[in-house]
Amino acid sequence: MENLLSVQNLTKRFGAVTANDNVDLDVRKGEIHCLFGENGAGKSTLSACLYGYYRADSGVIRFKGQVAELNSPADALRLGIGMVHQHFVLVENFTVLENIIVGSPDLGILLSKSAARRKVEELCLRCGIELDLDREIWQLSVGEQQWVEILKALYFGAELLILDEPTAVLTPQQSDQLFVILDGMRRQGLSIILISHKLREVMQSDRVTILRKGKVVATVETSTTTAEAITALMVGHKVTKRVSDRSVTPGREVLVVDRAVAIGEWGEEVLCDVNFTIAENEILGLAGVAGNGQKELFEVLMGVRTLSSGGFHLNGEAIVAPTSREMLDRGVGLVPDDRFREGLIPEFGIAENLVLGWQRKPEYRRGPFLDRGKINALAAHKIDEFRIVAASADLPVERLSGGNAQRVILAREFLHARGLLLANQPTRGLDVAASEFVYEKILEKRAEGFAVLLASEELDDLLRLCDRIAVIFKGKIMGIVQPGETTLLELGMMMAGNASNLGGQVNDFSSKALRQ
Amino acid sequence: MAKAFSSLIVGAFGSQKALLGSLAKATPLLLVGLGTVIAFRAKIWNIGQEGQVLAGAMCAYWASLWIGPLPYLIAVAVLVLAGLAGGGVLGLLAGVLKTRFGTSEIISTVMLNYIVIFLLAYLLDGGPWMESGATVAYHQSPPVNAMLEWPTLFGQGAAKLHFGFILALGATALSALLLERTPLGYEIRAFGSNPTALRFRGTDISRLLLVVMLVSGALAGLAGAGELFGTSHRLRAETLLGIGSSGIVVAMVGGLRPSGAMLAALFFGALKSGAIYMRLQSGTPAGLVSAMEGLVLLFFLCAAVATRVHITVRSEAHA
Repeated sequence: MENLLSVQNLTKRFGAVTANDNVDLDVRKGEIHCLFGENGAGKSTLSACLYGYYRADSGVIRFKGQVAELNSPADALRLGIGMVHQHFVLVENFTVLENIIVGSPDLGILLSKSAARRKVEELCLRCGIELDLDREIWQLSVGEQQWVEILKALYFGAELLILDEPTAVLTPQQSDQLFVILDGMRRQGLSIILISHKLREVMQSDRVTILRKGKVVATVETSTTTAEAITALMVGHKVTKRVSDRSVTPGREVLVVDRAVAIGEWGEEVLCDVNFTIAENEILGLAGVAGNGQKELFEVLMGVRTLSSGGFHLNGEAIVAPTSREMLDRGVGLVPDDRFREGLIPEFGIAENLVLGWQRKPEYRRGPFLDRGKINALAAHKIDEFRIVAASADLPVERLSGGNAQRVILAREFLHARGLLLANQPTRGLDVAASEFVYEKILEKRAEGFAVLLASEELDDLLRLCDRIAVIFKGKIMGIVQPGETTLLELGMMMAGNASNLGGQVNDFSSKALRQ
Repeated sequence: MAKAFSSLIVGAFGSQKALLGSLAKATPLLLVGLGTVIAFRAKIWNIGQEGQVLAGAMCAYWASLWIGPLPYLIAVAVLVLAGLAGGGVLGLLAGVLKTRFGTSEIISTVMLNYIVIFLLAYLLDGGPWMESGATVAYHQSPPVNAMLEWPTLFGQGAAKLHFGFILALGATALSALLLERTPLGYEIRAFGSNPTALRFRGTDISRLLLVVMLVSGALAGLAGAGELFGTSHRLRAETLLGIGSSGIVVAMVGGLRPSGAMLAALFFGALKSGAIYMRLQSGTPAGLVSAMEGLVLLFFLCAAVATRVHITVRSEAHA
């Protein structure tokens, strides 16, 4: 097979840091090539060089055999290299079609939408994408928005598509749909570079190049290796996955949710008749495809969304019309799924973020003023304890990596919460090592007697960590199962809306979702 | 050209009298600037300072009409409070419109400016506050009760510095402490960066918005009351209009910091004061100073953008 792209000895330095060190990479025509590595291994820098966003300090990039001068993303686009970023660049109130064709060089002054529409429809058909071109972006799910980004790149004539952690924002089902689409594109002869740190995605690629600390460790054919071997190559040693200590058994009930009903913005029921309990020393898992009411449930328990009927009890007390202040004061800790939006003040440093929500607490004050000395000392201690990598405690947290930002939130919540911890997708976007750190800390809290609600899309992780797992679908709890007595298959079926007591009959959709 | 600039500088700093004039002009700009800093740091775009300055002056004037014989210091304190209240209530009104009905504060504060300006026009032009005995409407009130004029720190006659200057300096120190050192200031800055996280973390952000609008408007109102009882002694729209918008410029040029606003207020105060002398000496129109004000703001905004670009490049370098 011929090489569409070949990179030789590419080096990119930022000051004293070498992000890419003599990297070689070949991408064949019609393959899915995965770039795999931990956060900071140099995957994103490499792709930014390929996309013309950064200029490599040295090295040669050849595209279709020709040396490619990539000075800007426009150069890359012209050659046929397209990129889909983790954060989409779409106009919210434009339609799908408008978003795809905007910026197209052959657009002219007057929009000729009908010709463009035919071209986009044909692209959809070829790649197996089903999308209403006249809907506006805000009406689409995150997965669908990503398809628009892909279509946009293809519309511009991309032959090589770079996807930067495409599934970080997707549900397992949306991820599976994405891979079906990618598979279709591969069959059309398009090449795909997939940046990922998720093993199950790597295993669906043709070849994988593993990066560690800016260097290429190996490029292997996926079919000839195993997930364990790839992980070992990535981290340089074996990773021990922690499991819950089953000898500790749950104590008295901490949180009781009783027939909770919540109404969404368009009058739809986002939570319908939700019932569950969590006890001391217990982790209750919450499995479900994103957008099935998990976020709303966490918002209710955090006091930022009101129930239209039903209620909940905390430590035996009925909680009526709570505010987020009340829930914090009652000792509830929250690790939100959107950490930069809901959990942090991006322009504040680590120190100030560590007291967010507790800035009025007498402990952090001296008279009417914030006790800077004490807060900074606390920050120094927590940076050490949680191994947060940051130049200083005053560095705005918006400049921290996802893993380090998450550690700031964990440090804050673990310091202030008493008794109940709510964790929504705490490992989203984190690499293997960082995820294990989060789980280790959550297990510590369980051992201390905390009740924990842990929502995650990583079903394997839920099965090894949780005492029980509740499955949510369209705002309803489909059932609560014991990890020892259930399989991935059963969980997946419940996530797709089938009740827990279904027999061996498996529908096509959920079996596909669980193939990995 | 050189003559115009030299007369501008002489007019601003050339004598003790000139210097006092500059500080007197800086006083209201600083107060409005501080109010603007507090609102803008929360990214609450209160741009109704013009109206809030007028409202403060009007409220203090109204208070001066009905307060009976009081010890002098208490009477002055009442006028200070009335000035704060007038501007504060107007700011608060825009805040309520935002929290209750979601009205953009940019729209509501500007619209409230017009209401206040026309209310003042009504009151002075044939209304109850018109100077009586005049055959021509002067669009001004009679002089305020001489017993209620604010104490003078230095100077006399046209070039004097009233104690509002001390209030403004005190307000600078308090604003800096508030923003950088107190929990409320923490919340104001956090609101400017990410109100959603603040709401998730136990702060009632509607209440916070009202507090910010109240404080921001009150400082502008105090500027208006000080101008009336310290400098002009008559309620006239002409002496008060322009202070609000200049105060916004002061806040922006001062980098949304109280200390920066103080430097900027002194600079623009000197410009305004020197402009009068410049016109007399060289015939250069004083309006040129307003143009300079605008140009300085533009240059500062361009410089701010340029610095941000620079920082971005460097932070990439460390990524």
